[in-house]
Amino acid sequence: MTNTHDKKTSAFLTTVLDPRGQPTAAVEPHPLAPRLDTVLGKTIYLVDVGFGGGWEFLEETMGWFARTMPGVKTVLVHKKGIMFVDEPEMWAEMRQKADAVIFGVGG
Amino acid sequence: MPLASARFAEYAAQDAQNHGMKLRFSFPPYPLVGRPREVLRKYVEGNDPITGRPLMPEVIEGLTKPLTEEEKNPKAARRKARPRLLQPDTEENLQRLFQESGWTDGLPIVLPTEARVAHMLTGTAADANEIVGQMTITIHQEKLEYTVEKVAINAVMAGAGPEHLPVILALAASEEGSMPSSTTSFGRMAVVNGPIRQEIGMNSGLGALSPFNHANSVIGRAWTLMTINLGDSRLGETFMGSTGNNMNYNNMMIAENEERSIWEPFHVRMGYKKEESVVSLFQGWSAINSMGAAGCCRPAQEEMLIIMQAFPCLQGALTLVMDPLVAKHLKEQGFDDPKQLSVYLSENFKMTAGQFWGSDVVYSLVEPNARAGMEPYASWLKLPKDAVIAPYTTPEKINMIVVGGETQALWLTTDLWRTKTVSIDRWRPKSGAYKEDDRTARRREARQKRHAAALTASGYDLK
Repeated sequence: MTNTHDKKTSAFLTTVLDPRGQPTAAVEPHPLAPRLDTVLGKTIYLVDVGFGGGWEFLEETMGWFARTMPGVKTVLVHKKGIMFVDEPEMWAEMRQKADAVIFGVGG
Repeated sequence: MPLASARFAEYAAQDAQNHGMKLRFSFPPYPLVGRPREVLRKYVEGNDPITGRPLMPEVIEGLTKPLTEEEKNPKAARRKARPRLLQPDTEENLQRLFQESGWTDGLPIVLPTEARVAHMLTGTAADANEIVGQMTITIHQEKLEYTVEKVAINAVMAGAGPEHLPVILALAASEEGSMPSSTTSFGRMAVVNGPIRQEIGMNSGLGALSPFNHANSVIGRAWTLMTINLGDSRLGETFMGSTGNNMNYNNMMIAENEERSIWEPFHVRMGYKKEESVVSLFQGWSAINSMGAAGCCRPAQEEMLIIMQAFPCLQGALTLVMDPLVAKHLKEQGFDDPKQLSVYLSENFKMTAGQFWGSDVVYSLVEPNARAGMEPYASWLKLPKDAVIAPYTTPEKINMIVVGGETQALWLTTDLWRTKTVSIDRWRPKSGAYKEDDRTARRREARQKRHAAALTASGYDLK
């Protein structure tokens, strides 16, 4: 036990080890994708990631675009796999077909 | 442009940072699931509760507002390396520091002084600086790396002794946390098989799942402390289990009662040698007690089919934790091998397609596979709601563990699935086993003799 005596407080001080793991600092920074000048005349894909209620919420989002911004084309799709798995092929397809993506609804 | 419900704004902010980009999140109110259409429409037409701004104009702005310099050239948020030693302080202040920093399970800990950690390290032949693994309780956030010494620190905090360290190192080497971050609040179980169970005095008999045994208690607690400190579990930041799960305190840490089981030990059925010591990890949510004796009114296997109806059958997996009396009863029913019981349950358990697909967790995690064409889910998705299916399609995913003291022929039906089995022997000291003191060994031997005498006096015959 590595105790030392602190003369100021008259208390015995103890040295202990830090219990936490070490950060791996593996994250690399990535810039955001370029933005659109306008959404009018564009195609926006709404991608449902699969949490309960998300599909219905995005259907209502489609309805908002139809009522408020009819110049925007919206397409609602399910993410193919479960929400916790990345899908590079889905992003490749989005790059081909969509001008923008709204992705959700998390949680 | 990502949307996340407002309850997860804090989590999303950190998650974006961990991905090396600060995403432009917008947040509809929470919850969405089960809310009527008119409510969801009001959410769309209403405000983002986090920013107070109208939601959809904010989304449009997120898609069209030019990128800032920071968004074009982001910097990764890197955490500093942790020092080996903390600043010296009084014991009272250090206890408070550990509690207030979120480095404990809420209970007092044994402070990990250098001397205590050095003593703990005598329980393994591994070098203190050897990297054991990396862990995170989330799927996608930065992992933390840990050495044998970091594991020993958490073992000291849990109240463990050097004899327990090989099992604790095996748990750490699994790189699996005991508290995955899921909002559904997972629970875990760990089952030790092989000679080390008795060498370190684990309880596999009477009250094995209750807090009476030092080894079971401290090893289970150590897994949770490692999950907090090595898996970066922080309440509300990385851990999001809504109710939490009281399994998380000890993680159903048990040893199998190999001596009193009428069947081969679990690890032997998994392909290991009887003389190997291993720990098997399970994950799920719940356990239901059979609340009465097997075979009283109907055979246990029929009762099991009834209890199984409570589970959504997410993974098609099940683990039955049963007293040795239940295993004996099942053998009398013709199940000479637990694999036969797995096949029986797989073939005879039925539920309607409507019941199966009606579960939120099945909708979220199985239906995408069905839509992608994976069988049998794709076919089940096309069935009418009242069609009957047998969802436990893989008997190998139905496990039996024998635990208990033979005072009642009961069992626990759990929705736990086996994730991994890990070697303990890999982490033993050079001597093979840490020698506990003679007094402890004598006490345990006397206790075991008393239990054996009670069983003999009762006329119980295992064969």
